[in-house]
Amino acid sequence: MVRGTRLPISVPAKRNKQALKLTRWIGLGLFGSWVLIALFGPLLAPYPMGAFVSDTIYGGASAAHWLGTDYMGRDMLSRILTGARYTVGLAVAAALLSSLVGAGFGMLAVLLPRWLEECVRRVFDTLISIPSKMMALVMVSAFGTSIPLLIVAAVLSYAPGAFRIAHSLATNLATLEYVQVAKTRGEGRFYIAAFEIMPNMIQSILTDMGMRFVFIVLLLSGMSFLGLGVQPPAADLGSLVRENIGGLSQGALAVIAPALAIGTLTIGANLLIDSLSKSRDTQKE
Amino acid sequence: MRNAMPKLVLGRLSSSLVTLFLVSLVIFTITSLLPGDTAQQILGQFATPEQVAALRAELGLDQPPLVRYWQWLSGFATGDLGMSASNATSVAQLMNDRLPNSLLLAAITTAISVPIALTMGLVAAMRRGGKVDRALNVVTLSMVAVPEFLVATLAVLIFAVHLGWLPALSYVSTVDSLGDFVRIYAMPVLTLCCVLIAQMARMTRAALIDQLDSAYIEMARLKGVPPVRRVLRHALPNAVGPIANAVALSLSYLLGGVIIVETIFNYPGIASLMVDAVSNRDLALVQACAMLFCGAYLILVMVADLCAILSNPRLRNR
Amino acid sequence: MKHDKNDDRLVSPEQSLEVYRAMQRGLSRRDALKMLGAAGVLMAGAGSLPGVGRAFAADAAGQGTPKRGGRIRVAAHSSSAAETLDPAKGATAIDYVRAFTFYNGLTQFDEQLHPQPCLAETFETTDNGGHWVFTLRQGVTFHNGKSLTPEDVVYSIMRHKEPVVGSKVLSMVEQIESVRRVDQQRVEFNLVSPNIELPALLAVSHLVIVPDGTTDFSQGIGTGPFTCQEFAPGVRSVAVRNENYWREGRPYLDAIETVGISDESARVNALLSGDVQMINNLSGRNADRIGQMEGSQIKATNSGNYTDLIMRVDQQPGSRPEFVEAMKYLFDREQIKRVALRGYGEIANDQPIAPSSPYYFDGLPQREYDPERAASLLKKAGVAGARTSLVVSPAANYSEEMGQLLQQSASQAGLNLNLNRVPADGYWSNHWMKHPLGFGNINPRPTANILLSQFFASGAPWNESGWSNAQFDQLLVASRSEPDPSKRQQMYADMQTLIHDHSGIGIPVFLSDLEGFDSRIGGMDRTVPLGSFMGYMFAEHVWWNA
Repeated sequence: MVRGTRLPISVPAKRNKQALKLTRWIGLGLFGSWVLIALFGPLLAPYPMGAFVSDTIYGGASAAHWLGTDYMGRDMLSRILTGARYTVGLAVAAALLSSLVGAGFGMLAVLLPRWLEECVRRVFDTLISIPSKMMALVMVSAFGTSIPLLIVAAVLSYAPGAFRIAHSLATNLATLEYVQVAKTRGEGRFYIAAFEIMPNMIQSILTDMGMRFVFIVLLLSGMSFLGLGVQPPAADLGSLVRENIGGLSQGALAVIAPALAIGTLTIGANLLIDSLSKSRDTQKE
Repeated sequence: MRNAMPKLVLGRLSSSLVTLFLVSLVIFTITSLLPGDTAQQILGQFATPEQVAALRAELGLDQPPLVRYWQWLSGFATGDLGMSASNATSVAQLMNDRLPNSLLLAAITTAISVPIALTMGLVAAMRRGGKVDRALNVVTLSMVAVPEFLVATLAVLIFAVHLGWLPALSYVSTVDSLGDFVRIYAMPVLTLCCVLIAQMARMTRAALIDQLDSAYIEMARLKGVPPVRRVLRHALPNAVGPIANAVALSLSYLLGGVIIVETIFNYPGIASLMVDAVSNRDLALVQACAMLFCGAYLILVMVADLCAILSNPRLRNR
Repeated sequence: MKHDKNDDRLVSPEQSLEVYRAMQRGLSRRDALKMLGAAGVLMAGAGSLPGVGRAFAADAAGQGTPKRGGRIRVAAHSSSAAETLDPAKGATAIDYVRAFTFYNGLTQFDEQLHPQPCLAETFETTDNGGHWVFTLRQGVTFHNGKSLTPEDVVYSIMRHKEPVVGSKVLSMVEQIESVRRVDQQRVEFNLVSPNIELPALLAVSHLVIVPDGTTDFSQGIGTGPFTCQEFAPGVRSVAVRNENYWREGRPYLDAIETVGISDESARVNALLSGDVQMINNLSGRNADRIGQMEGSQIKATNSGNYTDLIMRVDQQPGSRPEFVEAMKYLFDREQIKRVALRGYGEIANDQPIAPSSPYYFDGLPQREYDPERAASLLKKAGVAGARTSLVVSPAANYSEEMGQLLQQSASQAGLNLNLNRVPADGYWSNHWMKHPLGFGNINPRPTANILLSQFFASGAPWNESGWSNAQFDQLLVASRSEPDPSKRQQMYADMQTLIHDHSGIGIPVFLSDLEGFDSRIGGMDRTVPLGSFMGYMFAEHVWWNA
C-alpha cells in the first residue's frame, strides 16, 4: 500500500501523539513493573509465601503486613510478590503463542489452495467449539498439572479464536488489488503474508492478543475454581482472588489487592500493545 | 451472483457436518483418555469391583471403544441422543429441561450487549485518540480485567445481601410478572455483559481503525467526506467481517462458557450440565452438549461470514 | 435380647416409652430425658400424659411450640445432574436429605445414634444378632395409596445385593444373608455372621423402604413425611406435606424446596439475602460471618467426620514404621484446628472413633506436635532431609489447608513435602489410596463397628493405608457378637490403641459439620451426630416461625 501519499495529519494529531506517548509510558510502567515483580518478587517478599504468620484472617493493612493477611493468616504482600510470576509468565507465553499460531495460520490459510484452507479451518473450528474451561479440565484430568501443560491448554483454547479473527481480516485483504498484484508478481506466500497482509491487520491482531492475554489471566483463576492450576502453597493472581473471595463482604484487602494486581497488569499490557500498534503507524508517516 | 448465496450456504452446511463429526471424534477420544469411567464415577468412593464390573456390562462400557462410538454415531444420525448413564434419563429430556433457560439467558444478554458494544466501538473509532476514546478504552479494559466470579459475587453482595433488591438465586420457575423477570435476570445478564461488551467493543474499534488507516478512506478524507460519514459509509462495510466474527465468537461463549454464572446464581443452564457430564464421564450427555455448542458456534460463524460477504461484494465470487 | 433401645439403665421401660412418645411429639431426646427428672413428680400428680408432653415441648424447643405451615428452601453443598431419588444410589447430602424426606427406614437414629423404631414397631434378636425379627407398623401407606407389607421390606433390602443396582452400601448389606416374610406383619433377617448392631445399620438413608418392585424412582414414592411434587436432577426438588403421614401431627412444614449450590460464598450469600433458609457444609471462616449477621444462626455438629493422612504401609516411605510415626508427630493439631478449621473441630488422636461415640476410649495419651522427636524418627527411618510428594485435593475436605500446614511443620523436622494438588474430579477412583502419601475423607458411619470394618480390617477394599493386623481383625469379629457391654468397650479400646500405634493413618482433627439457618426455623436444637441437616433427617422435625 502506498502510504507515502498520505498528507501530514492536521492539528488534533499532535495532541493525539502526546496522549499516545502518555499511554505508552503508563502501559510500559504498569506492565514493566509487573515483569520486574515476576522476576524479582520472591526476593522482595518479607515472608515465605506459605508461612502462617498471623492469627487474624482477612487482616487489614498493618506495618507487619502491608497488604493484610489472607484466609489462613498468611502475608498477602508476600503471596502477591511470589505469585505474580506464574500469572505473568504463563499469560505472556500463552498469549504470544496463541496469537502467533492463530494469526499465522489465519494469514497463510487464505493463500493456500482452497482444499487445504478448508482443512485448516475445520481443525480450528473443531477446537473452538469446545469450551475453554472444559478443554482445560479435560487436559489436566487426563495428563496431570504442569506449567507447560497449562500453556498448551490455554493455547489450544485461545489460538482458534485468534485464527478466526485473523482469517476473516486476511480474507478481506486478500481480495484487495495490491495483494492480487503481488500474487501476479509471483511473490511467495510467506512474503505476501508477512509484508502485504500482516501490516494491514496488525491493529486488530494486537488488540485481539491483548484481549487474549486478559482471558488467559482469567482462565487460570477459573482453573483454580475447578481445583487445577498452580500447586499450593503457590498461587497465581487469579487464584489469590478466588481463594479469598469469602473476605469480599468485609472488603478484605486479601481479595481487593490481587484483583487490583490483575487489573493493573492487564490494563498495562493492553495500553502498551495499543501504543505499540499506533506508534507503528506514526513511524510510517 | 444471486445464486451464489444459496450455494454458499449449502457448502457451509456440508462442511459444518464435517466439523461436527470431527468434534464428536475429538470429544470421544479425550473423554476416553480421562482416567476413570462412568461406572466408577456413578458408584463413587466406596464401590466394590463386582459392582463396577456389573455396571460396566449394564452400560455397555465393556465393549471396545470403536463399537461404542459407532453405536453413539448411528443413534445420533437417526436423531436418537441416547440415555444419560449417570441418571437413567434420556439425554433429550435433560437437554429439553435446560436448553430453553440457556437460550433465554443468551438472547437477553445478546440483545443488551451487542448494541452497546457496537456503539462503544464506533464512537471510540470516530473519536480515535480523543478523550472519549481513551475513557472507553480504560472502561472496557477494567470491565474485562475483573474475574467473572468477582463481579458476580460483588453484585450479589450489593444487590441481594445489602440492598435486598434482587434475589441471590435465579429461579426460572418462579417468574410471574415482568418485574420478576427483570429481577431474576438482572445480575446474571449484568455479569455476562461485563465480559462480552468489552471484548466486542474493542474488536469493533480495532477493525474500524484498520479500515480508517487504509488508502480508500484517505481518499475519501481528501475528497472532503465528513468523518462520521467516512466511518459509517466507507469504513464500516469493510469492517463488518471481522466485527461479525468477533461478535460471533463472543456469543458462542454464551452457551458453553457461562459455567461460573450458572454456578453462582444457581441458574439451571446447559454449561453446568456439561461439566457434570464430564465429571460423570457420561459420554452420551457430553457428546450431546458438545454437538450443541459446536452447532451453535457454526451457525453463528456462518451468519458472521454471510454478513462479511454481503458487505464486501468482492468476496462473493471467491 | 429385646431392643426397645432406650437401655440407659437409669430409665425404666415405662419412662423410656414416655420419652419416646414425647420425642415423637417433637422433643429432642436430650430434652425429653432432662424433663423426665423434673417431671417425674409432676407426672405422678397429673397423670395425664398429653399435658406433660405439651409442657415439655414448650420448654425444650426454646423456639416456641411447633407450628404447622410454612415453606422453606434448603441449599445443599453439592449439585449435580446425577442426583437421584433412588435411595440405594444416594451419593451426597442432597440425596440423603431427599431419601428421608420421601421415605422411611425400618429404624431411625436418635440423638445418641441409637436406633429407634420407625416403620418397624419392634425388633428383636434371639441369638445375639444372628437372626432378627422386625414387626412392621400397621396402617402405613405409601404415597400412591398402597399399604406397607413385608414384601416391600424384602425387596427394599435385597435389591442392594444386586451389583447392577449400584448400591452405595453393598459392602454393609453383604452381611445380610436373606430377608424373609414371616407373616403379614413380620420379617426375618438372617445374617452371615452375628451382628448385634443390625438395627443401626438399617437406619441409614440408603436402606429406606420403597414399594415392592420399584424400578423407576423418579416419583419418590415412599412412606415419608413429604410427597414429591417436582424433581429435576441438578436443579431442584419440591416436597409437599404428606397429609396421610403415619406419625401424628407431622410434618410441620407445608413444603420444602431443595436445591444444590456448590459455590460456598454463593450459598452463604443466598442465606444472608433470605433466598434460602438452611445451608450446609460451611467453612469456619464463613461460619463466623453468618453468626454475626442478625436473623441467621450457625449450628456446629461434631459427628466424627475426618480428613486423614494416608501413608501406604506397602510402599516407600510408609513401609518404614518410624516414618509413619514421625509424620503423626508432625501434625500441629492445635494449629490445624485454629488455622484451617477456625476452631470448628476437635483434636483427634490418630484413631477414627470420635469422642461422641459410645465406644470412644479416652485413656489413650494424646499425641502432640513434636518436631524434634519426628526428626530423630526420620533419621532412624533413614529419610532425614528427603523430598517426598503429598497428594491433596479439594475432594478431601480441608486437605489442601492441612497439607500446607503439614508442609510447614515438616520443614521444621528437615522433611521436604511437595504438595501435589489434583482435581476433585475423579479423585476417589483415581487418586484416593493410590499414592504413597495422600489424603482421604471419611464421613461418619452409623456404628463404630461399620467404620472399623470398612476402613481398618485387613484386606478390606477401603483399608486406606493397606495396614494389616491379625490381633485387630480378631477383636473386630469378636466385638460384633459380644453381648457384654463392658467387654465390648474394652475390645474397642484395644482396637483404637492398635490403630493409634501402628496403622498408616494420621487423623489430626475431627471436622465439625457447620450449618447456617434462618433464625425463624424452629426445632433446630435437635442434633444427630451423623452429618449435617440433623443427620439428613430434619424434614419432619423443624417448623417455621413466621
